[in-house]
Amino acid sequence: MAEKYFIKTNFDLCTGCCLCQLACSMRLLGGYNPHRALLRIEHAGENLYHFPTVCNQCANPYCANVCPVQAIRRDPATGAMVVDHEQCVACNLCHRYCPIGVVGVDVELKKSVKCDLCDGAPRCVAACPTGALELAVGGEVNHG
Amino acid sequence: MADGSMGQFLVADLTSRKAWTLPLPQWLKDDFVGGKGFGAKLLYDLTPAGADPLGPENVIMFMAGPLTATAAPAMRACVITKSPLTGIYLDSFFGGRFGPEIKFAGYDGLIILGRATRPTYVWISDDQVEFRSAEGMWGTDALAANDRVKKDLDAPEARVVTIGQAGENRVKFALISCEFNRQAGRGGAGAVMGSKNLKAIAISGSRLVKVNDPAAFHEACDAAGADIRASQTCAALTDSGTSNAVPWSNSVGTLPFRNYFDQVDDQADRLGDEGQKKHLFLGKAACFGCPIRCSQMGAVRSGKYAPMITDIVEYESAALMGSNIDIHDVRAVAHLVKLCDAYGLDSMSTGGVIGFAFEAVEKGIIDPPPGVKLSFGSVAGAEYLIDAIAMQNSDLGRLLGLGVRRAAARLGGDAEAFALHVKGLEVPGWAPRGTPGMGLAYMTADRGACHQRGFMVAYEVGGKEFRGKPVDTYGLVQKAEILKGEQDYLAGLDTLVKCDFGAFGVTSKSYVRMFQAATGRSVDARFFDILGERIWNQTRLFNLREGLTAREDRLPRRIVSEPLPSGPHKGRRISEADMAVMLADYYQQRGWDKNGHPTEGKLQSLNLDKRIRFTITPKPIPDQIGISTRLRD
Repeated sequence: MAEKYFIKTNFDLCTGCCLCQLACSMRLLGGYNPHRALLRIEHAGENLYHFPTVCNQCANPYCANVCPVQAIRRDPATGAMVVDHEQCVACNLCHRYCPIGVVGVDVELKKSVKCDLCDGAPRCVAACPTGALELAVGGEVNHG
Repeated sequence: MADGSMGQFLVADLTSRKAWTLPLPQWLKDDFVGGKGFGAKLLYDLTPAGADPLGPENVIMFMAGPLTATAAPAMRACVITKSPLTGIYLDSFFGGRFGPEIKFAGYDGLIILGRATRPTYVWISDDQVEFRSAEGMWGTDALAANDRVKKDLDAPEARVVTIGQAGENRVKFALISCEFNRQAGRGGAGAVMGSKNLKAIAISGSRLVKVNDPAAFHEACDAAGADIRASQTCAALTDSGTSNAVPWSNSVGTLPFRNYFDQVDDQADRLGDEGQKKHLFLGKAACFGCPIRCSQMGAVRSGKYAPMITDIVEYESAALMGSNIDIHDVRAVAHLVKLCDAYGLDSMSTGGVIGFAFEAVEKGIIDPPPGVKLSFGSVAGAEYLIDAIAMQNSDLGRLLGLGVRRAAARLGGDAEAFALHVKGLEVPGWAPRGTPGMGLAYMTADRGACHQRGFMVAYEVGGKEFRGKPVDTYGLVQKAEILKGEQDYLAGLDTLVKCDFGAFGVTSKSYVRMFQAATGRSVDARFFDILGERIWNQTRLFNLREGLTAREDRLPRRIVSEPLPSGPHKGRRISEADMAVMLADYYQQRGWDKNGHPTEGKLQSLNLDKRIRFTITPKPIPDQIGISTRLRD
């Protein structure tokens, strides 16, 4: 049992600036590209609305459930589901069954990538200028 | 070694329907950096002297800079072409998400050549380039076309620039729509796309934009972010965008009223942040990578024009489509601006043209069509003219679609007396009688009347100090010196490509830090000033080559000869003598001769004397240079 951290999204505060995605892609890949970040923003209604989607660090994680080599496991320190790149075979089943499309094989790394909460200090949250992303502490983790 | 650039341009030739890449020469990066710098140099080198702006020989370019698409706060991209409105150099800057996507697809800029035989759009997905038919979407408005392109490609994530009917019909002040709420608005770049039968460009990319020293860059971006947070001007932009400039401009006597007849408007508050917060605003939207989020998104939810989603009515639109034509219902102004956005018309020039037309009718120079009321304050009249101009389906629409300079020349008589333009570009919403330095800024801006190349209003009535001392509002001395400094510095930053609003907060020290960390270059504090001066001379060389003379470095007749009837600057004008004094000083400050030509010594000092040319290989062989071009009908 451990405390579970997660990133709470407040879509009403999101301006669609994508600074979160820039911070994320830089940390993950050493360069900037929002399409390869581990969180997504949908811009809707002529830019009237912006919906950020981040990994839920699910209590019942389908990504881990379907992984044939058990490469996705929970980090006991943060509660994040983390991909072990030593074990990942890039089958992309995690991507196929993730209900919100925030895990999958990166085109260059050839390994599955997903939000690991930056070891408890998420860069996206630090980069967000409006508070649309917050680091929150949940209850006990239900190991399902 | 990573330096913030992608190392190549994409060239798309609409005539041959071929695309290929060109490596970025080191000398170009060294001397021109990106954005406006690349555009200024390439337009000179790639467009033949005397080219018809609407002919296939004109080039249109979309340029990013080394900081575009990075975490550097408030960066943009720009369009550069020869303007059909002015016949001289044009750059037009846009935020949003299209500019960064150019780099994500692997390019520092797009260079579009030639003319397609049929309506076409270009689809760029990393190194795949397709020339696709736009026949099914020809005739659609700019916003509908955006949607159509994404559906046609089944690529909702693509970033798309489009033109509306105005661009198709080659209206000389047609714009390029860069996704919702963002436009390359000024000078008729949309007409250039239309003349090339180019309805849209869609782009999507998976490449990484890398900087030289990521840790140092992160720190530099943090410092720039702190500059923005410490800036009251940036805070005001976050609160209510440029709408709060309406009451301010009115209070300092620079708000155009009834085709610049006056510079105060007693109903200004209805158009400003007060009126807009009440009737429009709901939330905020940001351009890519910008913490300022100046866009105030909202909706017209009551009255005749409801329901309609709208962005903020920006200051320039509120001034030119509001007070300048004596309309004060901000919902009506939002409606008129949205019409311009959809048709793909620059709302600034359109407001100027409507003001000109209303006055021409008042003076009996234009006869309104039967049953149509064209008079100040008439929303229906403005709506009629916007439609006529965009659709080009009547003599009046065709006349006004030429812009006020040409329309006045065709009308003859006294029409030039109230045609508000410099070099053919309609005057922005900062009316200059009372602020002679702002007048000089309009006289000398490289694209014609532009408020963004040196905002002298800030010094003359805004309390901004120069070298620690207040600036005399009406004085003529020192204005040229201050303006040259502003023009050079801002043009330098336009290589990055900075947003003007970011530059209100981010210090020159922070720009230098970000630039150094991104590119790995070591530069001193004067770098952007010297770079900007080089660019300012490069664009001048282009304009002179295209036939510009010192005679056109002047203000419109109304500003010169009609004293202001009221307001804080009552009785003020900027006389012929005032212009002569300031212009002579300005040429001297610039190291130009009395005819406004850069001296050889000046060009030498800026490394422009060697005249190295950027060239494009005339016969590309796509397969040999690593890009597969798929052709599709």
